[in-house]
Amino acid sequence: MSDLDRQIEQLKKCEPLKESEVKALCLKAMEILVEESNVQRVDAPVTICGDIHGQFYDMKELFKVGGDCPKTNYLFLGDFVDRGFYSVETFLLLLALKVRYPDRITLIRGNHESRQITQVYGFYDECLRKYGSVNVWRYCTEIFDYLSLSALIENKIFSVHGGLSPAISTLDQIRTIDRKQEVPHDGAMCDLLWSDPEDIVDGWGLSPRGAGFLFGGSVVTSFNHTNSIDYICRAHQLVMEGYKWMFNNQIVTVWSAPNYCYRCGNVAAILELDENLNKQFRVFDAAPQESRGTPAKKPAPDYFL
Amino acid sequence: MSTVEAPLYPIAVLIDELKNDDIQLRLNSIRRLSTIARALGEERTRSELIPFLSENNDDDDEVLLAMAEELGVFIPYVGGVEHAHVLLTPLEILCTVEETCVRDKAVESLCKIGSQMRDNDLIEWFTPLVKRLTAGEWFTARVSACGLFHIAYPSAPETLKTELRSIYGQLCQDDMPMVRRSAASNLWKFAGTVESAHLKADIMQMFEDLTQDDQDTVRLLAVEGCAALGKLLEAQDCAARILPVIVNFSQDKSWRVRYMVANQLYELCEAVGPEPIRTDLLPAYVRLLRDNEAEVRIAAAGKVTKFCQILSPELAIQHILPCVKELSLDSSQHVRAALASVVMGMAPVLGKDATIEQLLPIFLSLLKDEFPDVRLNIISKLDQVNQVIGIDLLSQSLLPAIVELAEDRHWRVRLAIIEYIPLLANQLGVGFFDDKLGGLCMQWLQDKVYSIRDAAANNLKRLAEEFGPDWAMQHIIPQVLEIANDSHYLHRMTLLRAISLLGPVLGSEITCSKLLPVVVNASKDRVPNIKFNVAKVLQSLISVVDQSVVEKTIRPCLVELSEDPDVDVRYFAVQGLQSIDQVTMSS
Repeated sequence: MSDLDRQIEQLKKCEPLKESEVKALCLKAMEILVEESNVQRVDAPVTICGDIHGQFYDMKELFKVGGDCPKTNYLFLGDFVDRGFYSVETFLLLLALKVRYPDRITLIRGNHESRQITQVYGFYDECLRKYGSVNVWRYCTEIFDYLSLSALIENKIFSVHGGLSPAISTLDQIRTIDRKQEVPHDGAMCDLLWSDPEDIVDGWGLSPRGAGFLFGGSVVTSFNHTNSIDYICRAHQLVMEGYKWMFNNQIVTVWSAPNYCYRCGNVAAILELDENLNKQFRVFDAAPQESRGTPAKKPAPDYFL
Repeated sequence: MSTVEAPLYPIAVLIDELKNDDIQLRLNSIRRLSTIARALGEERTRSELIPFLSENNDDDDEVLLAMAEELGVFIPYVGGVEHAHVLLTPLEILCTVEETCVRDKAVESLCKIGSQMRDNDLIEWFTPLVKRLTAGEWFTARVSACGLFHIAYPSAPETLKTELRSIYGQLCQDDMPMVRRSAASNLWKFAGTVESAHLKADIMQMFEDLTQDDQDTVRLLAVEGCAALGKLLEAQDCAARILPVIVNFSQDKSWRVRYMVANQLYELCEAVGPEPIRTDLLPAYVRLLRDNEAEVRIAAAGKVTKFCQILSPELAIQHILPCVKELSLDSSQHVRAALASVVMGMAPVLGKDATIEQLLPIFLSLLKDEFPDVRLNIISKLDQVNQVIGIDLLSQSLLPAIVELAEDRHWRVRLAIIEYIPLLANQLGVGFFDDKLGGLCMQWLQDKVYSIRDAAANNLKRLAEEFGPDWAMQHIIPQVLEIANDSHYLHRMTLLRAISLLGPVLGSEITCSKLLPVVVNASKDRVPNIKFNVAKVLQSLISVVDQSVVEKTIRPCLVELSEDPDVDVRYFAVQGLQSIDQVTMSS
């Protein structure tokens, strides 16, 4: 068994790698990711997954429902880290799978794959706590800069973490972005990772997030027409039912973190595309308490303390 | 000490790190305390390291916790049991710190050390330590002291024993509730070491005081230990002195007290004997089963089978069963889930007739519960009922409900059903499989959830083992092989998985004639994932078929795959070819 296969087995048990192993893994990942396009080509069949946010045991639940990689091909739409308890293990497992099976799994960048955001929402603190230094955070955030910005499945389905940008009308414009940098505060690259579709907006609107834009149905119609794609698949927003179509099935949100932040009560979904691009949403719940690493608190202390 | 000579420098570093500003470094160093001790040798550990640690008690709680833990296993490093007392000093200090975790760990380590110390040393060093802690001004010392009496007491001479009992009595009436709480939760440990005459007098007095404490958290902890305490007494004493307290508590106005009683009642039954159970404990238990508070009903419902096991079947049917019926319709799903997790165990207790008449309707209603955990809990214990009512009746009454659950929207419920199928198959025999369940087994192969498809493939293998190759050829192989034409790659993948599992069971002939052609055909699939799984399946079939078939069929197929444009296909094909070469070389 190769080192990499052993590391994957270890990560599947939610045991983090050694710092030196993370460094080596990131170096290998960089070689692979640097070759990928800003609009990475992906072949069907593939299963599309939305935000994970460090909810490791829920991601294992995802694989139980969708099938293991490499049996099933996967496209993850970013936001692997922050908020959940296991950002380190979650991201490293996905990255290790990427290095082992580059053609079977595609990872694109979410707005949380950023130095600034991870310092606020947990990944930075988790690295510091688990390794006693921020080196692992540094290696990982360096890799974030290499992640592709979007994917195009069989030239028909455009996938991106957030949404569209007023600065972009064609896929070729995305291809010309120099992506190897921290996510900027504005501009095309920022918008792709931050924007949201919004019903009431006609054209473009200001985003309450403070980055990216809100975009309406007409924007999506014209983008899809210009680039001759069937629909856009994105993540970025919690939807209680796991997935949500908008604008007459021209754009779909897929959300893969069940019971988000361990308290939202939502179900999660993944979008399974077969080799003929037939769509099946697979909806799943959070992993049951007994299959999680941290033992459930016994009820007694809760009542009596 | 051969490991020591070379790395003296690292030891110096470790010792240095004990004083470092960075907490992480201090923590690392503490965790390797035994290495430092081994390097220093026993003597210097006693004279330098332990005193240093005793002074070094102003550190972060995390470091202190690690230190408290390390010291518990430190006897070998200070020169064995005769020097164990030197470890008491640093631990005594840790027993008085603010942080509860550190104190608890220090007490635990002290108990570990004390239980190895010689009687004389205990009297000379350990008991004075206990007394010092008891006299401690700050409550933390007295809290810790309570957990040490059971170590100090057995070796003490008579007068000292009397003194220790009297001191414990004072702790039970300490001004601070935290101390009384600790005294209450440690009472049963201490009681276990006390002679039976004093047990009845002194200890029971302390117990009664604690159960009348004005703080309910103290009373609770006294209740928690009462079963353990009861087991130390003779049955009649237990019935006379502990039982009334508990029966009284079962009607306490605080639900937290009743909850604790519900958890402890069954344990107590073992200590009091049959008659008081019937007259006192049973009515108390029935009251708890019908408690207003769901939490109490959950705790009581979870014990229903255990309780029935110590009652006569008549009493169980007369008193408990009506409550069980009510609980199965309880408004709280958690109560129903708790009941469902144990209720199947009542079948052997109640016997066949009562099970059929009274329990089956309850099982059926729980099997149709809207809450998946309730259904799951019932399914996972079905075998307990088989043995009582026999498979015929089970299949008539429960099977329809089971079949319904096979299509449950919750995949874990479906999984539980699948895992139950081989057992059913074994008990029901070939006959019933050709009907509805056979169809379900096929349906699961194309389930929308991967884990179900995988379990379904495994299930087929176990059915083939149970019923033999001929049956498999007739009833499962034709349908399974049809999946080769499915339009979804993940379903075709399941077919490959099933073939790799069935091949070894069905043997060389069927594998060559039926399975292998399908696999070879799949090697021309358009999806790379299918192709590299073909390579994996072929590799697994090498040991099933004859060498000639390997050379004629498997090798050419793998050779072709090893030139595939997809890197993963090539990788697994090459792996397969290497396996062939290994087999060829070794034969």
